[in-house]
Amino acid sequence: MNIRFYILRRIALVIPTLIGLSILTFSIARIVPGDPVGLAAGPRATEEIKEAFRREFGLDQPLPIQYINYMTGLFRGDWGESLYTRRAVINDLRVYWPATLELTTAAVVIATVLGVPAGVISAMYRNRLPDHVARVLSLFFVSFPSFWLAMIFQTWFARDLGLFPIGKRLPVLVSPPAPTTGLFLIDSLVQLDLETFLISLRHLFIPALVLSFGAFASITRITRASMVEALEKDFVRMERAIGIPYRVIIFKYVLRNALIATITVISLNFGWLMAGAILIETIFDWPGLGLYAVEASLSLDFQPIMGIAILYGVVFSVVNILTDIVYGILDPRIRYG
Amino acid sequence: MACAMCSTRAPDGKAAMSELLNIDDLHLEFHTYDGVVKVLAGVNLQMRRGDVLGLVGETGCGKSMTALSVPRLIPMPPGRITAGRVTFNGEDILSKRESEMEAFRARHVGMIFQDPVTNLNPLFTIREQLVDAVLYQQAQGKKVPGRWRGFSPSVRQLRKEAHERAVELMRLTGIPDGDKRIYDYPHQFSGGMRQRVLIAMALAGDPDLLIADEPTTALDVTIQAQILRLIRSLVAQLGLTVLLITHNLGVVARSCERVAVMYAGRVVEESPVRELFRNPKHPYTRGLIAAVPQKDVHRGGLEGIPGIIPNLINPPAGCRFNPRCEHVMDICRESVPPAIDVGAGHRASCFLYPEDA
Repeated sequence: MNIRFYILRRIALVIPTLIGLSILTFSIARIVPGDPVGLAAGPRATEEIKEAFRREFGLDQPLPIQYINYMTGLFRGDWGESLYTRRAVINDLRVYWPATLELTTAAVVIATVLGVPAGVISAMYRNRLPDHVARVLSLFFVSFPSFWLAMIFQTWFARDLGLFPIGKRLPVLVSPPAPTTGLFLIDSLVQLDLETFLISLRHLFIPALVLSFGAFASITRITRASMVEALEKDFVRMERAIGIPYRVIIFKYVLRNALIATITVISLNFGWLMAGAILIETIFDWPGLGLYAVEASLSLDFQPIMGIAILYGVVFSVVNILTDIVYGILDPRIRYG
Repeated sequence: MACAMCSTRAPDGKAAMSELLNIDDLHLEFHTYDGVVKVLAGVNLQMRRGDVLGLVGETGCGKSMTALSVPRLIPMPPGRITAGRVTFNGEDILSKRESEMEAFRARHVGMIFQDPVTNLNPLFTIREQLVDAVLYQQAQGKKVPGRWRGFSPSVRQLRKEAHERAVELMRLTGIPDGDKRIYDYPHQFSGGMRQRVLIAMALAGDPDLLIADEPTTALDVTIQAQILRLIRSLVAQLGLTVLLITHNLGVVARSCERVAVMYAGRVVEESPVRELFRNPKHPYTRGLIAAVPQKDVHRGGLEGIPGIIPNLINPPAGCRFNPRCEHVMDICRESVPPAIDVGAGHRASCFLYPEDA
């Protein structure tokens, strides 16, 4: 099966997934008890004002019609607007989403860069000191609540040592780079603005580090487990017997066998971190999607809720497709079809 | 390049017929939850350059462990060598450091195993694995420049030569269209072809000793015959020294010059092949030969040796075969019989034979 055809087909399959997701979110957002209009219009709003609200947002129409209206708007780029701020959802997403994407991606990168070698070393020195250290560390990181670690790190590194800023993406007086992608690191690099790059890197480091801990732990553990399993394989003994050096066997031949499971965990973590970044975003005053999503849910502001759900749905699908493609690169026995 | 295989390597400062491998009184234990398993209890085995030695015995008698002690691949722990020496070309193997062993394996030993499906790495092309085998065995423990350094002309030349050598090895081991099939993955090969690839990898560095641990057991019968024929022709072409491990006496009869019979962690009899079949001395060997199904005897069932293999946590004292032996004497339960010359190049460890014979 041709890989290009496979990717096209996987992308096509995203459409029914997203339709299902949108129906589900739409229903839940409308079925939950509570009156969004009542909340939005304020406690002293008269029945006429509420009625006007409903008409303006199309809430007077039957649910299926509302859904169809929403979906057709979606494809025209009109993702609706917030009941409260009256801002277009799509513009809000454009502002908040890159912050979350930057934070989550950085966390996944840190977790992978630290976690995979830690797992490999753990497996190489199984039941010896380096293994114990790596296992205790990863247990430590999964066991401590991330918001607690976040505050500890804030206290140590930002307040006491002054090594890193306490929060936000950039200091108030530094203007963000012109938005190409909205990711400050990339935008500042594109404009060769090294100073802004370094400043935003310093702002990003501690939040991303704290966010990465849980993922680091699971990546380390799965890498260790699958390395240990792969090291038991017959071909390892064969490669040793004919004189391939052990480090080549580990880092070339065994690691690739172990990475297949690790890739799965990395992609799952990416999803979890995106959804779970809210605590970290709150503590570090990081203007991301998490805070926006919570505010929208609490006030039953259904248009932003829908927008966020659709956006996350797309991102999850893309990550999944990428994961499947990486599988195929790692393991030639996987046939696309 | 093409003929590097054909010339026998000049022996390192020794006469061509000198002793290559000497396993002397090797004792190996495995520490398990049930107790200490005495896997090898004084194995003696000598091989000279050009020997084709068959090592036979039933499952669990220590054949594979004896073989793995040469490239020192016995997992330790749980394994522990408690006594004995292994010398190769006069070098003491057991005292080498692990880094020296990597160079030793690359330079002197090639090994093939039972299951060609699990012994090839499924995620890499034959080219990747075979070229690495060539490069690292030629480097003999020294660094090999990685593929990422392909911009350097000398590295590119080195890898190109290794590729040519790999194709040549595939031709030598009888894999058709090696120049095209080298780009395939292991799962695109049949079992017999994979075993040929593994033999090619083992031979990549022109090893002094090829250890074949049940190389045909996992293959079907017609393929078994092909692989044995290949090993025999490689012996004839390259003057290989082969240690062939099997539980199949028929394989020994067809492929080896000498044979050593193992029982419960000891070599009980060693002899030229014809002599062993014509004139077996040790009661265990006799039982083993009697147990081979004969095509002209159709009455009665299959012969067997009464009793079972002893538990090696608490092995019988003296000769480990004594509980199953029909000639058992008191002395067999007290001391271990020494190896006694019972014919030309024929030694048996049994008290039935007088020591001065």
